[in-house]
Amino acid sequence: MSDALIPAPGQQNPHAPSAANSFRMVRLLGTVSLMCGVLIVGTNLVTRERIRTNQETIMRDSVAELLPGVKKQLAYSIAPDGSLTLLNGMSGSASEPGAQRFFAGYDATGKLTGVVIEAGERGYADVISALCSYSPATQTITGFKVVDMRETPGLGDRVRSDPNFLDNFRQLDARLENGKPAHPITTVKHGTKKNPWEIDAISGATISSRAVGRMLQKTVEHITPVILKNLDRIERGQ
Amino acid sequence: MSETQTSAITAESNPFRNGLWRQNPVFVMVLGMCPTLAITNSVRNAISMGLATTFVMVASYGMISAIRKLIPKQVRIATFIAVIACAVTVVDFLVKAISIPVYLALGAYIPLIVSNCLTLERAEAYACKQPVLKSMLDGLGMGLGFAFALTCLGMVREVLGAGTFLGVPIFGAHFEPWVLFLLPPGGFISLAMWLLSFAWWKERSLKKAEQEAAAPQLAAPVEVRS
Repeated sequence: MSDALIPAPGQQNPHAPSAANSFRMVRLLGTVSLMCGVLIVGTNLVTRERIRTNQETIMRDSVAELLPGVKKQLAYSIAPDGSLTLLNGMSGSASEPGAQRFFAGYDATGKLTGVVIEAGERGYADVISALCSYSPATQTITGFKVVDMRETPGLGDRVRSDPNFLDNFRQLDARLENGKPAHPITTVKHGTKKNPWEIDAISGATISSRAVGRMLQKTVEHITPVILKNLDRIERGQ
Repeated sequence: MSETQTSAITAESNPFRNGLWRQNPVFVMVLGMCPTLAITNSVRNAISMGLATTFVMVASYGMISAIRKLIPKQVRIATFIAVIACAVTVVDFLVKAISIPVYLALGAYIPLIVSNCLTLERAEAYACKQPVLKSMLDGLGMGLGFAFALTCLGMVREVLGAGTFLGVPIFGAHFEPWVLFLLPPGGFISLAMWLLSFAWWKERSLKKAEQEAAAPQLAAPVEVRS
């Protein structure tokens, strides 16, 4: 701020309203807005690269957590019409609205070890965003990790941490038959899980547990068929 | 001399201490209740929110104070909001650049600093009348006072509600957390407890000051002081 704008101490602004003031008001508001605009754009330019790296690191760490031993990661996007695109970098956003991202992980020899799919579903308080790892070789869901949620602390938020609940996703059956899920993934009451495609709910957090079940069912229904169809391409990393 | 009067004089000349303690935005003025209740479920969130608000207040009050003589009275609120909104957007980018987990935890509350009545109140009551440095000091004091109050609440809520402090467990495995303290009612309960203890403390020091002021008058004729 230049010194010329700072008036001498002791001076009082008369704040006298008059018709001639209109132009002054417009001019002042315009100048302030222009200055603010320059400041915001400047900060955006300075922090943009750093924010992108941060988002990429977070994504990479999450994928590495779900697929241990992964050395290389690629991001893909699936458009609503089922076409697959290789994204540029891990934080590249899906190009079209309605498109969904997933990440492919490769080991040191370049072999595909699994994919991590982004999923989201409305829970009790707000949308639960999560990642689930899927093994195309065995057609099972092998891991689940909540990225963001607003579920009730102590009840619904146990979908993030409850070890018994997370055990459901070690080998969750997600087989396809003729491009359709062989069994719908269902959430069952706590303690009544019998089949490998059922999720044992957390008692006291039924709504959040069911949301996780629906989210995975949608993933198996819409995303895994595309992955299996394009498996050659994904294995080659194209 | 009574302590209230002396500190009233220091409060005038020291805007930093004024905001931090004497006119603490939460415990004394009871302003900015939305983030105070919503974001204080952990110490880390409380500190981050407090610091973000402090930054917004210092930066925007500096700008507002610098152009205060140019602002026509009729559009002052619009000008304040534009400047504060600009500072908030800058903070939004900075928090994202510093830590994404903190950004996710603070969620919608960073953009809402714009509508925190505390930021607008101090711009209207102080920054648009005082020189740049004093206004920025006022912003710093008020902001840190806000951060301090948020941390006080966050401490109670995190320790009782989750059994942790800054994410570190402090009670061992046998402690059953009082989840109520993490939920909205817990925010109200802990705020009420803090306000109560502040009111009690204030009343006590006022009484003490009154007694001290009354005592020398009675004792004056007999007591000889150097």
